[in-house]
Amino acid sequence: MNTKLSDLLSSLPQDEPESGLLDSAEAQEQLKAIFADLAYKRVPVHSLHRIWTIGELSTQITLAYTALWVRGLFADTKKKEQQRNETNIRVALKMVHRLGYLRGAAIKLGQAFGSLPELLPDQVVSTLDMLHAQAPPMHYSLIREVVLAELGKEPTELFASFDKEPFAAASIGQVHRATLKSGEDVAVKIQYPGIGRAIQADLRNVTALVFPTRLTRGGESIRGQIDAMKQMLAEEMDYAHEAQNAREARALFKEADGVVVPKIFDEYSTSRVLTMEFIPGKNVSEFLAGNPSQGERDALGTKINLVAERMLYARINYSDPHSGNYIAMNDGRLGLVDFGCLQRIAPEDFKWMDNGDRFLDGKITVLESLRETGSYTEKELADENFIGPLLRHYDWFLEPIAKKGTFDFGDPEPFRRMIENLKVMVEKVYPSPPMYLYMYRTIFGLRVLCYRLKCRVDLGALRAQERKPWV
Amino acid sequence: MRITAEAKTATRERIIKVAAKLFAKEGYDSATTRGIAVKAGIATGTLFNYFESKEAIVAALISEALASAEQKIRQRDDETLEEELFTFIWSELAALVEYRKFLAEAAESILSPLRRYAKESPGNSIRANHLEAVEQILMNHGITAPTAVAMQLYWTLYLGVFAHWATDESPKQEDSMALLDQSLKLFVLALPRSGAGHHEHQAE
Repeated sequence: MNTKLSDLLSSLPQDEPESGLLDSAEAQEQLKAIFADLAYKRVPVHSLHRIWTIGELSTQITLAYTALWVRGLFADTKKKEQQRNETNIRVALKMVHRLGYLRGAAIKLGQAFGSLPELLPDQVVSTLDMLHAQAPPMHYSLIREVVLAELGKEPTELFASFDKEPFAAASIGQVHRATLKSGEDVAVKIQYPGIGRAIQADLRNVTALVFPTRLTRGGESIRGQIDAMKQMLAEEMDYAHEAQNAREARALFKEADGVVVPKIFDEYSTSRVLTMEFIPGKNVSEFLAGNPSQGERDALGTKINLVAERMLYARINYSDPHSGNYIAMNDGRLGLVDFGCLQRIAPEDFKWMDNGDRFLDGKITVLESLRETGSYTEKELADENFIGPLLRHYDWFLEPIAKKGTFDFGDPEPFRRMIENLKVMVEKVYPSPPMYLYMYRTIFGLRVLCYRLKCRVDLGALRAQERKPWV
Repeated sequence: MRITAEAKTATRERIIKVAAKLFAKEGYDSATTRGIAVKAGIATGTLFNYFESKEAIVAALISEALASAEQKIRQRDDETLEEELFTFIWSELAALVEYRKFLAEAAESILSPLRRYAKESPGNSIRANHLEAVEQILMNHGITAPTAVAMQLYWTLYLGVFAHWATDESPKQEDSMALLDQSLKLFVLALPRSGAGHHEHQAE
């Protein structure tokens, strides 16, 4: 790595947290400037450039957190909070800058990080949320040539109408509205040429950078998770795979569920272009901006959780619970978009779900289920200091399901408790199977989404209803 | 016996067609004018009445493909400078796609910038026509007098994209498409800031 240590040190938090603390208004200003700047950034096609940039990024994050930890030894709690806050904002700003520049790979990594609040809390989650909609566009001439290469005809020949301006950014491409000659309104998702293969090359490099030689027990677990991430990303880049995911998901819902999975139009779809039914409505952020009533929030939140439970029992994890992927339709139904990130749950991993049910039935304790995994020694299981945070984490996770009646997801107390516990957990390393990376992403992502929605949901009843056909 | 103009044109076309097949089969460097003449059923001496060299044959082949591409390129009013250049270049490359197999060798022989000063090179007219079309596109977007350095930068980028495309093994040459997109962004940024093209770019 060619990055100079002095450059990295100068990028670390300043020494006067009181005066140097960024308030959110100032952070917003910086973000604006960065986004203005982003419009002129070229997407580096040269692989070496990307390696360097990603390498630098991971070093900066690690160093920033290491410095924070060292200084934290000498700081009182209040100061520590301030420093942490400041570091998070600085790291977030840097990440946004680099991620936007790198487009594909890093945006996906960023989204994964965005779902891990113990690493990157609130400000970062919302910053990455913004990034999702801010990816720099492809001009229409490029779109036209991609469609021509993929489908053999130009968009204007293929479709009755085709909007030259995208209406949404996908992480590795963009989405255009169009009308089929048969009259259907569709959304056409188009991938930036070559980006999929470039991302896979990047990921190999990232793994090499993050895990050079020495592997601890926790390191093995993280490597497994990175491998799982690689496989998921490979699938996500193949729109033919996404089309298949959408078909499977579509078969899970009936009209009475009020959940819409868009129809895929195969004759207008390839591995790089995906044409699906257009779902009119508002994404969760737009929905919230319209100041919805508590009843409307509850209804949407219930449907979002219904989708998660229905899919989990079908051994599918809808693992990208991003606010932009849920559409509140005007008629009250919930629309789902983006099926790039569906994780199939292997039978051995499904035990996790079974154990949850056994716990709810009072047949097993969390500690017993942890013992069953075989991942922990008896000594570890007996050590409150080690296993305690993990038990509290499961308590937090199971709380809304175990509660009789509605659970208020807008209550900040459990949310704060989770963050506090994660801060403790992150300092210990718990081995966990690869599938947990995406499972955690789903759990935290859903909880963050429901917290934002401030919805009240009878999750216990919902789970019982969804479990019924499988008993 | 007098040879009619039609017969002359037909022979010329036959030579180009046969040469294209032979280049693809044997490689541009290995193919000879003698081999082309044999396949075309004419004497080697006769071939030289039509083309003075192998380079001239491949130059004619490229020129014809490009001319057919130019007819297909319709200027779209709402295209920015970057988009119009993209359309122009990608359409040209698309017209040449069936010859891609031997174009890398051929281009090295007739379009290499290292041969730029060779007089009477059959590639000169291809370069001149291409750059003339590019200057016309620049003019459409208010850039009336691009500097010689700007045009040389363009040509260097173009040849880089061309060379990459000719040997590109990615599906449907998608990497070259990305490279062209990036190269044009670079070129447009390098144009004079007062030009209309730059404002367009800013407005994107």
